[in-house]
Amino acid sequence: MDRMKRNKLIIFLLVSPGLIFFFAAVLFPILKSVYYGMTDWKGIGDFNLVGFDNFVKVLTDDKVFRESLLHAATLAVLTVIVQHPIALFFAIIIDKIGGRRETFFRAVFFIPCVISIVVISKMWVGIYNAEYGLLNTVLEFMRLDALKQDWLGNFHIALYSVVFVIMWVGFGYAFLIYYSGIKGVPEELYEAGLIDGAGGWQRFRHITLPLIKPVIWVNVTLAIVSSLKQMEPIYLMTNGGPGSTTQFVANYLYIQAFNAKKYGYANAISVVFVVVCLIVTVLLQRVFRDRERGEAS
Amino acid sequence: MKVVNKLWVVALALVMVFSLAACQGDSDTAASPDGETDAAAESQAPADDAGDADEPVTIHFFSNLPDRSSGMGELEQILIDQYTAENPHVTVEVEALQDEPYKQKFQSYVAGNELPDLCMVWGQPSFFQAVMEGGYVAELNPDDYTDYGFFDGATADFSYDGKLYGLPRNQDLTALFYNQAIFDEYDVKVPETYDDLMAAAETFRENGVTPLSINGKDKWILNLFFQDLLVKVSGDQDTIYDAIDQETSFAGDPDIRKTAELYKDLVDAGLFQDSYISADYASAMNLFLQEESAMFYMGAWEVGMASNEENSEHFRENVQVMTFPTVTEGEGKATDLVAWNGGGFAVSASSAVKDEAIALLNYMMLPDHWAKIGWETGNVVPGQDYSSFLTGNENQLQMTITDILQQSTSMSGTTWNDYAPGEWKTNCEQLMQEYSAGIVDIDGFLTGLDEAVGQ
Amino acid sequence: MSDHTTAVIAPGRKKKRRLSRIVYVILCSLVAAGAIFPLIWLLDFSLAKSNELFSSKILIWPSPPQWHNYYLALTDGKVPQYLTNSLVITSVSVGLVVVLAVMMSYAFIRMRWRLSRVFLNLVLLGIMIPIHATLLPNFLTFHSLNLTDSPLALIIPYVAFGLPQATFIMSGFMASIPEAVEESALIDGCGIFRIVFKMVFPLMKPAIITVIITSYISIWNEFIMAATYLTSDTYRTLPFSVYNFAGMYRSNYAAQFAVMVLAALPSLIVYIILNKHITKGIVAGAVKG
Repeated sequence: MDRMKRNKLIIFLLVSPGLIFFFAAVLFPILKSVYYGMTDWKGIGDFNLVGFDNFVKVLTDDKVFRESLLHAATLAVLTVIVQHPIALFFAIIIDKIGGRRETFFRAVFFIPCVISIVVISKMWVGIYNAEYGLLNTVLEFMRLDALKQDWLGNFHIALYSVVFVIMWVGFGYAFLIYYSGIKGVPEELYEAGLIDGAGGWQRFRHITLPLIKPVIWVNVTLAIVSSLKQMEPIYLMTNGGPGSTTQFVANYLYIQAFNAKKYGYANAISVVFVVVCLIVTVLLQRVFRDRERGEAS
Repeated sequence: MKVVNKLWVVALALVMVFSLAACQGDSDTAASPDGETDAAAESQAPADDAGDADEPVTIHFFSNLPDRSSGMGELEQILIDQYTAENPHVTVEVEALQDEPYKQKFQSYVAGNELPDLCMVWGQPSFFQAVMEGGYVAELNPDDYTDYGFFDGATADFSYDGKLYGLPRNQDLTALFYNQAIFDEYDVKVPETYDDLMAAAETFRENGVTPLSINGKDKWILNLFFQDLLVKVSGDQDTIYDAIDQETSFAGDPDIRKTAELYKDLVDAGLFQDSYISADYASAMNLFLQEESAMFYMGAWEVGMASNEENSEHFRENVQVMTFPTVTEGEGKATDLVAWNGGGFAVSASSAVKDEAIALLNYMMLPDHWAKIGWETGNVVPGQDYSSFLTGNENQLQMTITDILQQSTSMSGTTWNDYAPGEWKTNCEQLMQEYSAGIVDIDGFLTGLDEAVGQ
Repeated sequence: MSDHTTAVIAPGRKKKRRLSRIVYVILCSLVAAGAIFPLIWLLDFSLAKSNELFSSKILIWPSPPQWHNYYLALTDGKVPQYLTNSLVITSVSVGLVVVLAVMMSYAFIRMRWRLSRVFLNLVLLGIMIPIHATLLPNFLTFHSLNLTDSPLALIIPYVAFGLPQATFIMSGFMASIPEAVEESALIDGCGIFRIVFKMVFPLMKPAIITVIITSYISIWNEFIMAATYLTSDTYRTLPFSVYNFAGMYRSNYAAQFAVMVLAALPSLIVYIILNKHITKGIVAGAVKG
């Protein structure tokens, strides 16, 4: 029986189909990018190998790349300090509401997550439109005309407009994850707390919070990693503009490839981008594991 | 065990061979576009002369006009349908994308050396030069076109190294469209000079009317506006090209600096609609069509708006067009135009149905076809002599544009944002938008342009 | 129901809780409105004439409702065609992901070989790799293999990118299933493949459902790969209908809204019907993570 479990042929047959897909469309392209990133290819015609010049340029001499990372950081921070507390709060109160209303609200909150990002983005472009958009119309209706803006064109606020949409969409996921954490807290603990005379806030701090820590970390990790990877909302709403005030790395690399035709350079950006994502993820895992270990002791 | 080890090795080897082959395939096709790569069209007949006209042939036609029921898209479709009716063995597969995705897809096609048989191209160095240089488009025979009536210099941007690679499909020029009714309602003078324009902007703003709608999201239109203003200031079409060719500099040329100041003053006075930076082509034009803005700055190709029945009759009666206002202290005249031959068609060099594609191209561009029908339907300002096609039914815009063209004293040629290949266009347009939005100041703008030229 | 302390409450407390519950419901309704209202706005103006959008009204009662917009969406927007493509491509991709993930997870978790950890971690690494970094190289590869303009151009990357997360969920779940049943089957002489598909597969149902749901949502709504890898309309998927249509009907906002409604509708309907399962699936996936 043990021999069965070591049978190399069977192992091969089990993993190779999946691995072939994975290597072909995930790993192999990265290798290709490393190669092309070392050239000065403009997409057309011949090219020369330029070694690591492109990679160095991306890391040291590319203002837009750095700005994109900064925007991703802004999105991540805002998501964690604005969207998450709100999601957690609603997870708690929906849990308290109970019954059919609970199911109903839970269902509704998640609706933006099931709709295609193309529809969401184009819809919000419409909402943000300074001439006919829903947002300015509502402000007009509430006699707050002074607050009307060119939401996606005013470079001071464009980033926040985009960030809001991304948070609006992600709210459903964050909410569900916190909700599952809240549901996992045994009721007896709350009862014990009440008997001990603990108030609502104290119960939250000492019972709920410690027990949902793993879920918090899942959500935070997801927020940070997905902030880095944003592309479609930017592409569809602002394409990084005005200027590069709403640029994110994935979209920037798409523009460098297809608009500026800097094919070699774009591949270099790709590779650096992948490395950054990997580093961030590994760091987060480390922190998480340390925390867990810290809690356990 | 040994058998399975061998299997691992074989699998790894296969993966490596597969990857090498793919790599090899790319660099081969990239370097030698005359390879036998299969074009997307499924044609069985070898590309022959009209002798084999009975073999079924499919031509893959790549267009930047997804709207096939109005404007130039409709014109393309009419002519294609006509051609396939007259040549039943020919099928034309039309792939159409809007401008931006079109350019990206085009780029992908070129990178994979799979250019569709007949494509729309922009005859501007920023777009077309590398394509011609790389040998991706088929050479055309200039003798075929002696009777086609192309205007002087119209094919210049479609030629490289003395050879012809494409045909222009219209005469492009900038135009200031305006709504006479709105001007009358607020008693504003139609702007013939910069000062008039500034005064108009201020008066309209005071009355809560958008003076001019423009699609700032598509940065290139801002570049055109800038160039129009510059030509009126300096009176010399070469001023801006000299700066790009580094014979002068953006920061050093007084005319360019003056233009930048004048431009920013207009922007700050609120000439453009509030949301112009995020407004795309459709919404900017829509504002004008809905009579929500007094003026609209765009290319003359939109002359059809005065005939398009989807627009209100009130609009159609009141829309007019004029040349860009002059600058009183400037040297440029109203007849100095920013005009070029942008859109056109080319045939892929690697096409398996090259001759058939060229035949279709020649058919479409016959004066009786493209120029005549395009002019009659009000869809196009042709790049060919259309004086014999004036029907007397032209709308007011078409007449004015015809006059403008005939009275022009100078034309700019390819606009400055498209003047150089490579990343110049992206950087130039980006800076233009940033300057307009106030993200960079005038010095940042001008020195930024000089830096971009250096690359 | 979270009625924590049924036994020991004073009447004043009960009233307070009823009041707070009302407050909670109000708050939740506000958020729910925030989640749905934009869609309602979309639906409302999809039945209007395009210029009515400029009328400074928040919502209008379209009279008469411009059903023509939906007619345009269905014909020029090619919604039925794109919908079919989405159905076929997504279903095939999700099916492959599930089957392959189960196979790989079994090999990683149950089979004994030295490199099992290595390959498992390699595949999980895929979760962190951003899709857009592979757009360009993949496009070139597909081109030289003449795969652009074939559903394979989407299925291959969809499966490839769906596998890491699926494997993660599957292997996590599989590790928690006791090996006892499989062991006895092996002793009885069953082949590994029979064990995987006849015995393990059914036990993995919760994980499989989670994977089906999460994969379906992300693949169904996937846009940028569909836009980049497919050259002609034949195999384009639903999200593309919105994008393409915007070009053709650039001035007709109402018609564009109609296409967007049609594009959002399938996901919405499925979600409403299968809501409970979907929520459970997502939650399960998250908890495992």
